[in-house]
Amino acid sequence: MYIFKNAIKSITRNKLRNILLGIIVMVIAVSACVALSIRQAAAVAKEDAAENMTITAQISFDRSKAMEEMAAPEGEEPGQASQESEGSEGNVPDRGRFDFDILQGSSLTLEEYLRYAEAQQEGDSYYYSGAFSLDATGELLPYGTEEEESETEDQTDETGQDLFAGGMEGGRMEMPGDMPGGMGGKRFQVNQGDFSITGYSSYNAMVDMFGSDGGYTITDGEMFEEDSEEYACVISNELAMYNDLAVGDELVLCNPECEEETYTFTVCGIYENESASSQENNRFAINDPANNIYISYPAAAAIIAASEEAANTTTDSSGEETSAALKNTLAFTYTFVNEEHYETFAEKVYDLGLDEDYTVSSMDIEAFESSMTPLETLSKTALWFFVIVLIVGGIILVTLNIFNLRERKYEVGVLTAIGMKKAKVAVQFIFELFLVTFAAIIIGGGAGAAVSVPVTNSLLESQIEDAEQEQSQLNENFGFEHGGKGSGGEAAGGEIPGGRGGAVPGQGRGQDRFSGQSAASQYVSSVTTATNAVVILQLAGVGLLLTVISGLAALISIMRYEPLKILSSRT
Amino acid sequence: MSVLKLDKVSYKYNQNTPAVLEDISLEFENGHIYAIVGRSGAGKTTLLSILSSLAAPTTGHIYLNDEDVAKIDKYKFRSRYVGVIFQNFNLLPHLTALENVVLSMNISGKKFEEKEKTLAMALLEKVGLSGEEANRRVLQLSGGQQQRVAIARALSYDPDIILADEPTGNLDVETQQEIIGIFRMLAEEGKCVIIVTHSPDVAKTADFVYELKKSEEKIQAV
Ligand SMILES: Nc1ncnc2c1ncn2[C@@H]1O[C@H](COP(=O)(O)OP(=O)(O)OP(=O)(O)O)[C@@H](O)[C@H]1O
Ligand SMILES: [Mg+2]
Repeated sequence: MYIFKNAIKSITRNKLRNILLGIIVMVIAVSACVALSIRQAAAVAKEDAAENMTITAQISFDRSKAMEEMAAPEGEEPGQASQESEGSEGNVPDRGRFDFDILQGSSLTLEEYLRYAEAQQEGDSYYYSGAFSLDATGELLPYGTEEEESETEDQTDETGQDLFAGGMEGGRMEMPGDMPGGMGGKRFQVNQGDFSITGYSSYNAMVDMFGSDGGYTITDGEMFEEDSEEYACVISNELAMYNDLAVGDELVLCNPECEEETYTFTVCGIYENESASSQENNRFAINDPANNIYISYPAAAAIIAASEEAANTTTDSSGEETSAALKNTLAFTYTFVNEEHYETFAEKVYDLGLDEDYTVSSMDIEAFESSMTPLETLSKTALWFFVIVLIVGGIILVTLNIFNLRERKYEVGVLTAIGMKKAKVAVQFIFELFLVTFAAIIIGGGAGAAVSVPVTNSLLESQIEDAEQEQSQLNENFGFEHGGKGSGGEAAGGEIPGGRGGAVPGQGRGQDRFSGQSAASQYVSSVTTATNAVVILQLAGVGLLLTVISGLAALISIMRYEPLKILSSRT
Repeated sequence: MSVLKLDKVSYKYNQNTPAVLEDISLEFENGHIYAIVGRSGAGKTTLLSILSSLAAPTTGHIYLNDEDVAKIDKYKFRSRYVGVIFQNFNLLPHLTALENVVLSMNISGKKFEEKEKTLAMALLEKVGLSGEEANRRVLQLSGGQQQRVAIARALSYDPDIILADEPTGNLDVETQQEIIGIFRMLAEEGKCVIIVTHSPDVAKTADFVYELKKSEEKIQAV
């Protein structure tokens, strides 16, 4: 068709005009390419991360819900309130209406957890751990305690507890249910014990610790067998050194409530924990990760069963006799291959009989989402940038085109006067725009592609810096001496007992003060590919859009021109 | 039979201005040269605009071979049936003479026996332009050369009717004679040639002369 040939000739004839047009489109193309690449990179990074992510989820009791139900003042009994009154009658907190049994929620049993696991799908899995505490016997000393102290103990066996200043009676400590690992247990009113014993159902359950980011390594001996009922345990190198223990040695521990009830473990491995920094607030031996002892879940279950069978009792301060059997704190973790499985699980589990008072939650998804925050912020910014570039660019292009068309008015007049259909004139003009726009888009897109990766990464870096700054500011404002000054790299979880490095994996994470955001080191901090086929297609779309916008201006003016008027008004 | 017929044609440029043409009835036949004369501002160019379908008559009708021109696609009419030599040429100044001619041939959509370029070149030579001049931008040609390009363009697609507005106004007597010779040849081929002119010499060569008078709208046949 001659009009296409003419279009090309026309472009070469009007170099200046078309170069100007091309430069504008090129600027738009570079900006659009970078913006689109950022968005694409974000999407790809998110997809990749989502693909590589194993989602773990827990079922937990929704206490706020129970609290709401409890807050109803009608249930208030004045008599009960005054019983607890300590001073003036006016403003006594009405503690009587706190039913801890309800607030605590009844702990789910292993059988229940396993039943709910049926809501999982192929590839999904679960693991669990049981935790309880035991005391040292004989010569054995928990790491961090001193001999004299343990000798001065009288009524209690609480080595660590003596360090704690007053306010506690009978060596007992009341803890609300949200202590680390407080997923299921009854309201705590137990002796603390010296050692935290955790039994794991599988090695997967320990990946948090012994995995690549965990900081735990067995330096001597090896890990216990995951399905063995033998009382084989791994202990920290601190504890081993402190008590001169070696692999193969025996470790005799007893029920904190009943000294006669002893259990003998064989040390099968000694681990080193890089992440266990000295923690200032380890008032209790049990809180020191060095006093964590790990065994297999079958072994833990066997101990609990044995303890229940022994049926020792203890008398508490009010003279009431209660069972001294060890109480297992069960932590159950479901793992999912993707978010979809998790979502399905979170819905279906209620059909399997889970009470509405319980919620299914996943820290991984939250962590994942927060790790995406900088990238997503950047992606959002990029979208705005893109939209603005398109709008501004579009306006400039239309203006330029209107001027160009005024210049070409005479041409339109002549062409139509000699019988060229207006539509054909329009097609030729639009084709010219199309060619110039696409040439510019290709060049601009190429330049954009070349710079998009470094630009994305440097923008991302500053975005992360911002986020980290904000985070440390937040911590500072809240009075948390988070990570010291300037060393933002350290994960906040480290300073909170029961955090990532804690005894029970998957439980302590919720303690992060600002829901996972503090894990600064976990932001997605770089992208490798930015411009891909999707971006190229989008750029082509941008080109088309720009052509249409400016072409529309051409079309409208051409249709409005009348040859006789144009030609007769020519000077 | 007349190839072109005006039936009581009137034309106003604007609603509130007096009519430039009023109640004109004319007939043109194939194989003849018509000269339209009249003083400046008499409406000669306006008449040609109507004849070339650039403007539609305000009242009245024009017939092409007894078919109402209003029913014919005006672009087709302009690009195929009439060849117009505009008073101010209306060439595309940034195109070469050759490109201007080829463009019109392309727009006509007609099939040619030879390549458009070859034919256009021959035609430009016929109206007296050298090969070098033919490949020059119109902008860089003299008024007379431009006029010849305009003539070549109007003839290029072999229309049945030639409408020429002062086609020899910028030409020397010799070239004028040559152009008149071409028109005569076209008329002998059976085409209808309508020439607007101020030149008595050109008018003399015509078979019929129509005079447009400004207000009295009187038409005289000579
Ligand atoms: N586009 C226009 N709008 C309004 N009036 C016009 C327009 N073109 C021409 N006229 C008027 O119409 C009348 C006829 O003009 P026209 O150009 O047809 O004259 P002409 O006979 O060709 O004159 P000349 O011999 O000078 O070329 C003139 O009075 C002119 O002013
Ligand atoms: Mg005139």
